[in-house]
Amino acid sequence: MLELSVESYRYPGYARNVLHDIALRLGDGEIVGLVGPNDAGKSTLCLVAAGLAPASIGGVLMGTLTLDGTPAAGLKTHELAERAVVGFQNPNTQRSGLAATVFEEIAVGPMNLGLEVPEIVARTREAIARLRLEALIERDPQRLSGGQAQLVAIASLLAMRPRHVILDEPTAQLDPEGTRLVGEALKALADDGTSLLVAEHKTDLLDGLCQRVVVIDGGTLVRDGPTAEVFADPELETLGVEPPARVRLRRAAEAAGIDPRVLEGARA
Amino acid sequence: MLPAAIVAGVARRLVRVSFLLTLPIAISVVLVSVFTRAGETVLFEIGPFDATLEGVDFAAQTLVRLFAISTSIGLFGMTTDPRAFVLDLERRGLSPRFAFVALATLEAVPAMVERAQVIASAQRARGLDTEGGVAARLRGVLPLAGPVVLSSLTEVEERSLALEVRAFGRPGRRHLLWQVPDSTSQFIARAVLLGALVLAIALRLTGTFPVLF
Amino acid sequence: MIEIQDLVHVYDGGTRAVDGVSLRIGDGERVAIVGQNGSGKSTLVRHLNGLLRPTEGRVLLDGVDAASKRVAQLAATVALAFQDPDRQIFAGTVKAEVEFGPRNAGLRDAALAEAVDEALRATGLESDAGTKPYDLGYSRRKLLALASVMAMRTPVVVLDEPTTGQDARGVRRIEAIVRDLGSAGRTVIAISHDMRFVADCFERVIVMRQGVVILDGSPAQVFAQDRWPELASTYLEPPLAACTGAALGLGSTPTDARLIEALAAR
Repeated sequence: MLELSVESYRYPGYARNVLHDIALRLGDGEIVGLVGPNDAGKSTLCLVAAGLAPASIGGVLMGTLTLDGTPAAGLKTHELAERAVVGFQNPNTQRSGLAATVFEEIAVGPMNLGLEVPEIVARTREAIARLRLEALIERDPQRLSGGQAQLVAIASLLAMRPRHVILDEPTAQLDPEGTRLVGEALKALADDGTSLLVAEHKTDLLDGLCQRVVVIDGGTLVRDGPTAEVFADPELETLGVEPPARVRLRRAAEAAGIDPRVLEGARA
Repeated sequence: MLPAAIVAGVARRLVRVSFLLTLPIAISVVLVSVFTRAGETVLFEIGPFDATLEGVDFAAQTLVRLFAISTSIGLFGMTTDPRAFVLDLERRGLSPRFAFVALATLEAVPAMVERAQVIASAQRARGLDTEGGVAARLRGVLPLAGPVVLSSLTEVEERSLALEVRAFGRPGRRHLLWQVPDSTSQFIARAVLLGALVLAIALRLTGTFPVLF
Repeated sequence: MIEIQDLVHVYDGGTRAVDGVSLRIGDGERVAIVGQNGSGKSTLVRHLNGLLRPTEGRVLLDGVDAASKRVAQLAATVALAFQDPDRQIFAGTVKAEVEFGPRNAGLRDAALAEAVDEALRATGLESDAGTKPYDLGYSRRKLLALASVMAMRTPVVVLDEPTTGQDARGVRRIEAIVRDLGSAGRTVIAISHDMRFVADCFERVIVMRQGVVILDGSPAQVFAQDRWPELASTYLEPPLAACTGAALGLGSTPTDARLIEALAAR
């Protein structure tokens, strides 16, 4: 269980609070979607939820982050890494650059933890199996497609055996096939008990993936509830979030005086 | 050294590269030593400068030394896989952080070249003339170099966070998956070379090493 | 008018990125090019402004072979906005950044100021004219890159994944820009993965797979049910409106609006 309570957070050297009055909980096996307009603090929230803010980037956090009962406050970044990890949208910046094959790339994390070689290999194999990347293990990490590279990046994070995985727009740079692959991988992860926080603009993707959705606007959470409920909120678009296609269609039907149930029966 | 180069198959490239590398220094060494070295036997004169035999002798010795240095460095560079080298150093005690910096620097160069190419394309697509005269090319420096530097810098934060998440910040040693294989023949070769070096130094110090003139 | 004749492009490693494409794009058309990564979309559009030269075949712009002109010259006709804005931003202010392109295209004084102001207004950046580009967030930098390309006032504008990373408001803005460019008579060619954006804003959709064009028509034609197998072969899904319309037997309804229209008419 990841429990985050933020009174305020600001970046080092800045006077303005980027986040304020946030209470967020991630239960085991839960996938929570994070949506909101750009510059609302989505990425900052991801960093705070993983403990990297302030542990790595500094800044002032008034609040607490508790990871499976342990307060994150005293932990060093590598100690945090074994509990909560964060992935970013650009697969290139997440490549270590040290590995000649995908297997080695995924093994870098466990290696850094100072584990013995058999343990490193075991964790790497586990991460590969969870994301079904067996076909890629001998490939050069630099020569993968966007979707594959992003999956390798996520596997590299999983090899740290975190209970909580936070992803900041993982499919932003991917094509529809890559997006689908990542979506499926995330579902499989949650089935294993990992809790996930996924920040995305693609509400259609989140619609099929998340049990809960939170909306961030102006640095604070303005909605937090079951997916269907949050996405059906009439103010969603004013908040800067594009509703999923099915919600849009339903609204358009209602606006034209047509019974939206006609649409429901036609889900292809 | 040359026999080793021939065995490694890089002899021709090595000689050519070492030659090109030493050439600029060689020219200045020759000019300076030949004409300004104090000596008795004057070979010829150009204006106020006279070329002495001693100068030529000194120049020749220096050139041979320079060539030896550049060939040995070149041979090492051409036959050693940098990754294997750095990782082996780490296994023998080099801090993982240094190892990372070394490897990441190597990796950074081709990545930056690729980035620079994309940037050049983008700016050309906005009308930047990269095929024009000197003035045009000078105007292009900032639009070409600017984004390379700026985008590299903006990526630094995300890259370092991504590294932290994979525990690169953890102090202490680590058990490496990689191991550079060593063989008996390599071990013997190293022992022989080391012995020869010690011998050469000893002979030089005791003054019995043969000198050219 | 853009004419692409039997274009083939083979990269140095041997990859046949474009394997025989022939197309004609008329002035003022709004065309979307879709297909999975690696299908040749980016390679194809980079032939329009000379960044890539054909291995075989020709690209004609208003009858003139693009191969006879330098990239800088072609930039006056075809402006291309790259997907990653950070690969082109270098100036100290937003305004200076936007001025770069049109200045290279020869605009000066009043014409230049007008082009820049118009582009800044269209992208919502007028109040940030003096801001440093990297003080803007990523999605606004993308809009900046778009503005700097729009300001060049070229007859043809090519956009590489304009809506990636944009929030709802950003997408609306880009949709408005595409429509405005179209009504101003400029040809707009966009690469996109967002089928809804494509169906809503473009009158023609070209679907590519493995270097060739497999579908080419209006959104209604391309997203019609009998074309779904071809779309699936390149891992594309039609917009939900199209799927729903087909399931309800309403014919091809690629956009929300068309679907609702068809329902109301029943």
